[in-house]
Amino acid sequence: MNLTGLQIIKELERGKINISPFNEKDINPNSYNYHISSDLYELDHRKVLDPLEKTIIKKIPFNINEGCILQPGHIYLGSTAEVIGSDDYVVSLIGRSSLGRLGLFLQITADLGQIGTDHAWTLELTVVQPLKIYPGMKIGQISFWTPIGKKDLKYRGGYSQYSKPHISDWYKKV
Amino acid sequence: MILTGSKIKSEFKRGNIIISPFSDDQINPNSYDFRLGSKLKIYKNKTLDVKKYNPVEILEIPKTGYTLSPDKIYLGHTIETMGSKRFVPIIRGKSSIGRLGLFIHITADLIDLGSINQWTLMLHAVQKVKVYPGMLIGQVTFWKVDGDIVLYSGKYQGSKGPHESQIFKDFT
Repeated sequence: MNLTGLQIIKELERGKINISPFNEKDINPNSYNYHISSDLYELDHRKVLDPLEKTIIKKIPFNINEGCILQPGHIYLGSTAEVIGSDDYVVSLIGRSSLGRLGLFLQITADLGQIGTDHAWTLELTVVQPLKIYPGMKIGQISFWTPIGKKDLKYRGGYSQYSKPHISDWYKKV
Repeated sequence: MILTGSKIKSEFKRGNIIISPFSDDQINPNSYDFRLGSKLKIYKNKTLDVKKYNPVEILEIPKTGYTLSPDKIYLGHTIETMGSKRFVPIIRGKSSIGRLGLFIHITADLIDLGSINQWTLMLHAVQKVKVYPGMLIGQVTFWKVDGDIVLYSGKYQGSKGPHESQIFKDFT
């Protein structure tokens, strides 16, 4: 089951969900709006990416006055300004429709979080047309889902330990 | 929990789900297929800015089809007016459309409770692909909720046809 906005607030007050900082005006009927932090990295778009190799990323200027123009064909890693997590509900992270209407992806294929994560989430940004965005803007939404079954919190050791944009760790697995 | 096709139909009959026009033929085992409306909007400028109103032009998809190119975002719309005050809708393309590399939404598949509209589709083609008015293009699923409900009353409520981004209003 999907938690309504009012239920998200209730579970937050009970300590079953963490969103910090939290602001009640960012509650939607069935999700919560998150913001983008000023940490933005770019992958080398001329390089053939190889999951067996450590990805090289470059920090790019991203400030509130000038923002940053994202270019099509590039992949950017950003992060949520909020620390978000839950040991009790499954978190799903996507973009806002207002950004989708401008051709901005906030995640690529993997919108599903794992139970037990509690960190600032890495965003996978890419655009269809060049698009200017700004740090601190309300950019995406997270929803919370009730699971069925015994919970396993082993994910705590995964990407959950990082609160800065984090590259793919696939290369470490081989 | 997700509603089955027959549950979508019974909740439609009870008025808890709105799909108009509704056709039994479009029910799947656990989703409902929707069709592409005839209007498309494209942004006039190549570079877009979240702080500004990005002007659009509107075009009509001819019966002979319209070719989408990979370098542009196209805003389309569902023929159906859809939504629910009880169940959360999630949209996605039909797998037959995904197999052709056509995205019908970008990032935002989750619809707010109470958002009852012709939904805007965010069309993005990986390779050039033709679309036709009235074609079955996507599917909507409905999910049960936990908690008290406050309905959507946002900036896209009452949309007919494709609706361009209003995010610039966040900055004013």
